[in-house]
Amino acid sequence: MTGVSYPPVPYDPELEPGLAMFLELVEGIPLRADTILANRAHFGTIVPPIEQVVGDRPVEVEHRAVPGPAGAPDVELTIVRPRGGVTGAPGIYSIHGGGMVLGNRFFGIDGLIEEVLRFGAVGVSVEYRLAPEHPAPAGVEDCYAGLVWFAANARELGVDPARILVTGASAGGGLSAGVALMARDRGGPALAGQMLLCPMIDDRNETVSTRQYDGLGAWDRNNNDTGWDALLGPLRGTDEVSPYAAPARATDLSGLPPAYIDVGAAEIFRDEATDYALRIWATGGQAELHVWAGGYHGFSGFSPQAEVSRAAAGTRLSWLRRILGVPSTP
Amino acid sequence: MTQTPVPFDPEIEPALALVVQPDAPPFTPEAVPAMRKAMAALFPPAAEAVGDAPVDVVERTIPGPEGAPDLEVTVISPRWLDHPVPGLYNIHGGGMMVGHRNMDVPRLLALVLEHGVVAVNVEYRLAPEHPHPAPVEDCYAGLVWTAEHASELSIDPDRLVIMGGSAGGGLSAGVALLARDRGGPRLAGQLLLCPMIDDSNTTVSSHQYSGLGTWTREANLAGWRMLLGDAAGTGTASPYASPSRATDLSGLPPAFVEVGSAEPFRDEDTEYALRIWATGGQAELHVWSGAFHGFDMYAPDSELTRAALAARDSWLRRVFGT
Repeated sequence: MTGVSYPPVPYDPELEPGLAMFLELVEGIPLRADTILANRAHFGTIVPPIEQVVGDRPVEVEHRAVPGPAGAPDVELTIVRPRGGVTGAPGIYSIHGGGMVLGNRFFGIDGLIEEVLRFGAVGVSVEYRLAPEHPAPAGVEDCYAGLVWFAANARELGVDPARILVTGASAGGGLSAGVALMARDRGGPALAGQMLLCPMIDDRNETVSTRQYDGLGAWDRNNNDTGWDALLGPLRGTDEVSPYAAPARATDLSGLPPAYIDVGAAEIFRDEATDYALRIWATGGQAELHVWAGGYHGFSGFSPQAEVSRAAAGTRLSWLRRILGVPSTP
Repeated sequence: MTQTPVPFDPEIEPALALVVQPDAPPFTPEAVPAMRKAMAALFPPAAEAVGDAPVDVVERTIPGPEGAPDLEVTVISPRWLDHPVPGLYNIHGGGMMVGHRNMDVPRLLALVLEHGVVAVNVEYRLAPEHPHPAPVEDCYAGLVWTAEHASELSIDPDRLVIMGGSAGGGLSAGVALLARDRGGPRLAGQLLLCPMIDDSNTTVSSHQYSGLGTWTREANLAGWRMLLGDAAGTGTASPYASPSRATDLSGLPPAFVEVGSAEPFRDEDTEYALRIWATGGQAELHVWSGAFHGFDMYAPDSELTRAALAARDSWLRRVFGT
């Protein structure tokens, strides 16, 4: 594509400090095939222990090993419940991000704890096997196995099985979309919704937005190449890629649970996320799409005090109230 | 072509039955005068509509486009204004063929009070009596007047945002293109609410809402036909009438694009945002789940509307720097 230039959408000035922090804290080492393990080790040091994240908030935390996919190891789940237990509660099944190669189930769990308390929900965060040691379909199959267990044990956990939704950011958003496709195709758990936050869903890395953020910003085009190469190996970019690994590959997006898709206007996943929503709507399916002006990848997590981040957080809560049938507060 | 529509949000769906009259006549040039009259009766003049809110309302007559009649505008300002504040230049909707600026007074009053801004609400000539370019040229003339009289209106000329819903959103986008291409007023933003911007009527969503919802495919075809005549849907429309036809969307003011997922404009509006981003331009896009055309006006007391208004207010704070 030489000769074609792709001027990027500029960042919201209020987000610039958070972006700088993200780049320094998370992406100090460029993510390439030979730096994945070093990055993973570093990433592990910036995710605080769960006890520290919980602090004195009134939740109970339980770690459980549940059956993994056939022939695979058990899957570790962390279950977060309001102290004292609940009945008929919403269930929030959370899948962490990290480009399919980094992270653990405690990354981002602060947000899950907040939602557990706000909605009186039961949250489950799943540990899944990472690439490149465990290429597709290991990660998404682990996530699916954990969801099947959660749905089957919903009542024991105080959860209304009709109100379980799946959620995740970045790779976790892509895995959430993949799990929603699997649940549909396998006649698995009926999900109340899929909340896909800046989801990583397209291995082709060919949209305008992927080219606008090539060497620029958080989770740039090169990092994305690294993640997909690790997950898919030589299959990447071919017609052999499974839609469960790269949901943008799915040819049929009908019959899915209502989707919430939220992404920044100034990041590589903008176009694939928008296209996913367009294709869901074309089938008559329900999706809500929010593309926030000047938002970098993960802006609301790393610049939580910015006006745009507060708006994004408030909008997510509105959708959760609508999906979970929680009365709204005028 | 029949297409399964995205369903309506259950909380707002009951409002649909109140809005959509099963025996409503179709939009035809013959039916339009009576429709305008019936709508006008629903909306009192601004001075009356604002009640005892702490605002000043001034009706003014200003010059129209060259060789065309004068324009009526309503200026709504916070009372006791003693310094320049941001401005909102508003264009009402009505499919290019019906509607009146008084329809938007409640929406504008809320924004004036929330953000402490001055609103200028323009009346423009309607199709089919006045086909393109009359409506968009009227709106542009009103914008030029507003920018030139910013100081007198207590508007900070660097913080002037154009806005409108439906046809008014399409006209806002058209005026923003005109202002760019003519070196006209510099806009700080364009707030496009479920904008009507594509005369082609070829998108999936334009087919999904055939005979369904508050603004149907049929109504939309009629509106474009009245505005553009035989040129409607032929690919020859001016981008100032049908902004989706613009081949260059670079260099525009930051856009806010809001639309429902359950209405005909969903796809054209989403596409407009995608094309702005592709140029490196700034746009924020909100597509609300299960929302029909004009949901915020027809279902004001709903979770969806509260969330949509909050997102608009947030964007205005960011654009105004308040």
